[in-house]
Amino acid sequence: MDFPINPPIGERVRRKETQRFVTGTGRFVDDLLPPGTLHASFTRSPCAHARINSVDASAALTMPGVRAVFTGKDIADRIKPMRVGGSPLLRPLKLYPLAVDKIRYFGEPVAVVVADNRYLAEDAVEAIAIDYEPLPAVIDPEAALEPGATPVHDVLGGNKVYKFHFATDGIDEIFAKADVVVKERIRSHRITACPIEPRAYLAHYSPDEDSLTMWSATANPHSLRGRIADVINFPEGKIRVIAPDVGGSFGVKIQTYQEELLLPFISRELGRPIKWCETRVEHMRNGRHGRDQIHYIEMALKKDGTILGLRDRIIADMGSTYTVDHSIMASALYMTGVYQIQNYAVDATGVSTNKTTHGSLRGIGKADAAYVIERLVDIAARKLNIDPIDIRMKNFIPAESFPYRNVTGALYDSGQYHLCLKRTAEIAGYEKLKQEQAELRKKGICRGIGVALVMEPTSSSRIHATGGYASCRMRIDPSGAATVFSSMGEQGQGHETTIAQIVASQTGIPFEKITVIHGDTLPTPYGFGTGSSRSSVVLMPSAWVAAKKMREKLVGIGARLIGVPPERLEIGDGKVFAKEKRDQAIAIAEIIRTAYGAIHLLPENMEPGLETMGTFVNPNIDYAPDDKGRMNTFSSYPYAGVIAVVDVDVETGFINIVRYCTVHDCGNMINPQIVDTQQQGSIMQGIGAALYEELRYDEEGRLLSSTFMDYRLPCVEEVPELALEHIVTPNPFTPLGAKGAGETGMLGPPPALCNAVEDALAPLGVKIRETPLTPDRILDLIEKAKSSHG
Amino acid sequence: MANISLTVNGETRSGEAESRTLLVHFLRDTLRLTGTHVGCVVGRCGACTVMWNGAPVKSCMVFAVQTDGDEVVTVEGLARDKRLHPLQEAFWKKDAVECGYCTPGMLMSAYGLLSNGKTPTEAEIKKAISGNLCRCTGYGNIVAAIREAAGNFK
Ligand code: FES
Ligand code: FES
Repeated sequence: MDFPINPPIGERVRRKETQRFVTGTGRFVDDLLPPGTLHASFTRSPCAHARINSVDASAALTMPGVRAVFTGKDIADRIKPMRVGGSPLLRPLKLYPLAVDKIRYFGEPVAVVVADNRYLAEDAVEAIAIDYEPLPAVIDPEAALEPGATPVHDVLGGNKVYKFHFATDGIDEIFAKADVVVKERIRSHRITACPIEPRAYLAHYSPDEDSLTMWSATANPHSLRGRIADVINFPEGKIRVIAPDVGGSFGVKIQTYQEELLLPFISRELGRPIKWCETRVEHMRNGRHGRDQIHYIEMALKKDGTILGLRDRIIADMGSTYTVDHSIMASALYMTGVYQIQNYAVDATGVSTNKTTHGSLRGIGKADAAYVIERLVDIAARKLNIDPIDIRMKNFIPAESFPYRNVTGALYDSGQYHLCLKRTAEIAGYEKLKQEQAELRKKGICRGIGVALVMEPTSSSRIHATGGYASCRMRIDPSGAATVFSSMGEQGQGHETTIAQIVASQTGIPFEKITVIHGDTLPTPYGFGTGSSRSSVVLMPSAWVAAKKMREKLVGIGARLIGVPPERLEIGDGKVFAKEKRDQAIAIAEIIRTAYGAIHLLPENMEPGLETMGTFVNPNIDYAPDDKGRMNTFSSYPYAGVIAVVDVDVETGFINIVRYCTVHDCGNMINPQIVDTQQQGSIMQGIGAALYEELRYDEEGRLLSSTFMDYRLPCVEEVPELALEHIVTPNPFTPLGAKGAGETGMLGPPPALCNAVEDALAPLGVKIRETPLTPDRILDLIEKAKSSHG
Repeated sequence: MANISLTVNGETRSGEAESRTLLVHFLRDTLRLTGTHVGCVVGRCGACTVMWNGAPVKSCMVFAVQTDGDEVVTVEGLARDKRLHPLQEAFWKKDAVECGYCTPGMLMSAYGLLSNGKTPTEAEIKKAISGNLCRCTGYGNIVAAIREAAGNFK
């Protein structure tokens, strides 16, 4: 590598952005209130599936402070439908921001009221009269595929909206000849990301300038800009999207929503700023949902635990107005996880149901795959009476096989799975844990030990969907301060700090003097949203490329000014100096002055000024499958070993996590403090998914978990004792060697805790195939096990 | 509509409020103190926590008119003379913040806990912020920050 990675890269530097958050001076969308702002509120469907016979807004229009009401019919011929999907495998649909003639999920927006304040807008929503003609709700994804099932989308005729198939040769013979076949139905249940800031939008069309500014709590400002232009038929060049401070996303804010496309339209109609801040109930019903896959999976093994092949059938519930297929693809392509499995077949079906739209959620698709394979390996180990660590060690991809091409064509950049799990077992004290478990069992305490090693592909590249590259532009001002313009927004990841660390380390500009601008489409380079943990894989390298160009420029000017060739120069202490003779030096301040003001002194052919652009492209990506259907769509492969220890109270069904130990490998860390904090949050989100959180629908398709009362996020009391460690295997294909750190934490708890609880209750014969592991479910399972053994 | 007047962060502030106007909306929309956040508006997330007459309260659960003549402290009132409060310093140092949306509420719940001048136990710290949700940090650094600030509280 021709470019050093100096401090402060790799240091636990305090985050720049934190200062404004602790003083209450952060700026979120709901904090903005331009003069003349009107407020929107939505009428939402009280049922899951119905025809709309009529919408009567006449009473609402006479209510105090009401300025306008729009229904689906009002807008349908005035705006273009939203785009659905980027994948040719998805069946296309025409969808509008407000339901036009049919309701397809509970809480779908049907009409919008615009009024002087949010209270008045909500009052008027109550006065809109809608006549619905109910249709049978399609809720169970398997029933939705039966012949004769009511179609969610009439134009499609049936509910199968996506199909993917992959198989290696001879898979059936492998299963026929295997010593053992383990066969299970495993379901990953429906959850949602739940950032603490709900969605919030403020559209401001200025009639004087004929331009539109859209403030959005989005994780994807540049893509949103194009979509608004499309749908409201307004030039993209006249639209500026600003994502100011965004209060978390975890995937849910990366996608474009109905309200986000409707507000700009209304603002243009009325010539006033229009604001809408989602309520929590609305968020639960309309924010994208995730997971919700059923797997009929089989594993063929030798008696000694060697895995011979894997066969899966996936049914993925995509909800009503599905927009992407990333989840199914990631599950189907990565089901073989961290194991050497070169015989594999999968049939994946995406199903439309009368539920909320399925979409991005921290670990999309990859979490389902990691969950199912890590459960199945454990189930196989129990059946063969092999230790869960031993069976994994036997089948892991060995460190010397990297870069490793998996069966579906994915190219795993690097990994040391054996070392990682060995270290996890050491910090957990695995052997001792097993002894303790045996003793506790004698005393009637149900202790369980759960093992998992989860791998999470990061930085996906899908055509027209996630780009596959990122950019940073930077400028050193004549004063000596630097500004970096990043193509990606942030929602808590700390880019203002990590980008500044990279730029400081390479250019010699002090960290304190570097400002990072993000989330605003006007000054920043074009780019795709923050998701798939891609910031450290492509965005940070792009900052590195911009800084490298800047460094070359500074050194080039310095070389000319002091008469020493650039190869012999170094940057440090605010100077460019000769490596062997440090007193041959020139201050960076002098170089900057020269670059702007004394351009006759610049090296020949060098442009004046100090501005550079850096772009980094995801390495090793395939954009089309080979003749066997294999392709690599992700560029980095971080992973984590987990050992969870639980006690299950068989009287109450309550699970106590005694200890959660994990060893994480996300490659090089730009700021280990930020990685640690993010990982703790990610693990807690995974614990929530495993134990508490579930989006439940009743038979009529009404969402039963619409508030924090019935959709329970973990609170501080539920944080277990955590032991976190890292091993570092740098990604050899990126200049910083980072792999992405946002999602792996969340992948661990569902399989590790299920494995642990099943282990704890093994003497009772309890099998866990459905989650979350609520006390009710545990008691129920214990009861069932008793009666089937009794 | 009623005109109400209260002391916010040591200053007398007044404004119009309907009888149903929530304190959080009065602070944010009328007084334009936007540091206090809204995450659920039904008392379940804690993002809106402020001090009301010396005790932490979820300001989405209080009507503005109830606070007429009272004393309210919001996150904007923690720093004095541009110097960060020890809690703010500790949150920064211990990396107790990611997206920052829950942070003002966390700080005010912690402020309520530490106001009595006693050094809290781990269990008391957890209890004090058990009504505040954070989706980003996993809480560990927040607890550590409050523990650290407890030592420096004035
Ligand atoms: S907004 Fe008040 S508790 Fe959530
Ligand atoms: S820092 Fe984002 S919710 Fe707490």
